[in-house]
Amino acid sequence: MLRFTRSLILGLLFGALAGLYFGWFPFPPDSRSSKISDLAQRYRDDYTVMIAAGYAADRDAAGALERLRLFELEDFPAYLQRSTERIISTSARDLDDIRLLVRLAHELGLLTPAMQPFLVMQSADS
Amino acid sequence: MIARDQPTGASGEGAPGYFSYAVFAFSLIAGIALGLAMTRIQGPLQRSNAEPWQLRAEDRQHYQIAIALEYAHKGDLPGAMKKLIAMRPAQDPLDALADAACALGSSGYLRSESGVRAIRSAVALYSSQGRAGCAEQLLPQKATISAPALATEVAPDAGFATPLPTKPPLPDSAADVAFRRLAPTPAPKRSFEARSARSYCDAASPALIEARVVDYLGRGIPGQRIRVRWADQEDIFVSGLKVGRGDAYADFQMEEGIEYSIDMPGAADPLGASLSTGACYTNNRRTLKSWRVTFVEI
Repeated sequence: MLRFTRSLILGLLFGALAGLYFGWFPFPPDSRSSKISDLAQRYRDDYTVMIAAGYAADRDAAGALERLRLFELEDFPAYLQRSTERIISTSARDLDDIRLLVRLAHELGLLTPAMQPFLVMQSADS
Repeated sequence: MIARDQPTGASGEGAPGYFSYAVFAFSLIAGIALGLAMTRIQGPLQRSNAEPWQLRAEDRQHYQIAIALEYAHKGDLPGAMKKLIAMRPAQDPLDALADAACALGSSGYLRSESGVRAIRSAVALYSSQGRAGCAEQLLPQKATISAPALATEVAPDAGFATPLPTKPPLPDSAADVAFRRLAPTPAPKRSFEARSARSYCDAASPALIEARVVDYLGRGIPGQRIRVRWADQEDIFVSGLKVGRGDAYADFQMEEGIEYSIDMPGAADPLGASLSTGACYTNNRRTLKSWRVTFVEI
């Protein structure tokens, strides 16, 4: 009986561990349960630029704020500032996208010296 | 050859008295099945590197609407389509967008002006490709244009049972009207009035201008710009940026010895009196006076 129990427990234990490993890592479930706040940085940037573009189209700051809140950040104004500065410093997006972000930051009173040249550029263009 | 306790009989038992390979093998298989089932029930481990197609239904709808908002500004149809396809919808990506607009429109998203504009952007995107959904019916009447109505206008001859094309061609004039009506419109201009300005003394928030922007029912309005001017300088701060303080809230840090004027550029005239801070006492502690200013929509 002891032999049976020991074999059973060890088998279940190793089997469950193997099942969990394979189920979570090499073959994760085709899950669609992530939140916008779980997005990879690249897609977070995409989303932020989309919101900034939406703001440029409708000048609706309240709507833009509502949408940025989906990031569930304690301090999303700081997030917008950091993201915009990071994108500027790494040239991670094209100039038009940077301008959109800077414009939104400006309208929300979040302009920083690093963003200033892009705002001046916009004024010159318009 | 070394003698070992080989499995004997059909039970496949090894090392009698210590271990049963047969039981181990069966329980191992059962354990693997159990572990896999748990991963399917529990879902993936918490991830912070998700892709848009992995979003849950609600966030997925918001992401799709964001794509439509970007399209409203850039007019980049291939770019928008690429992003919609990357969502890996189970159906046509534009139909999925129409469904998302419909679902959001039915869930109270249209209660705000910004929601109306966002849904309108989505409708503009999928209507331009000949798709239709229920969102058109949910939108305020003046912005509604129904695809069936357009299809009726272009029906060639009622006498022939011609199958409807997947993407019915629009007469130029009708298409122009559709785009003119569905184009995103700027947010309506709001007007506010500074209704109250009261000083208070709180050691936890010294020398602060706490502004609140509310509608006529006292509900906070986020995203409203408030301007503070002093000497030859000015600063803008925006309502609703402080999470946990409500949509109405915005604040500005004052300095001693400076007089500040506060208004909402283009929306509210300056407050009649200037605001300044100075010493005040609370619980026998010296601190600096703060102000609460409320702007009410008129």
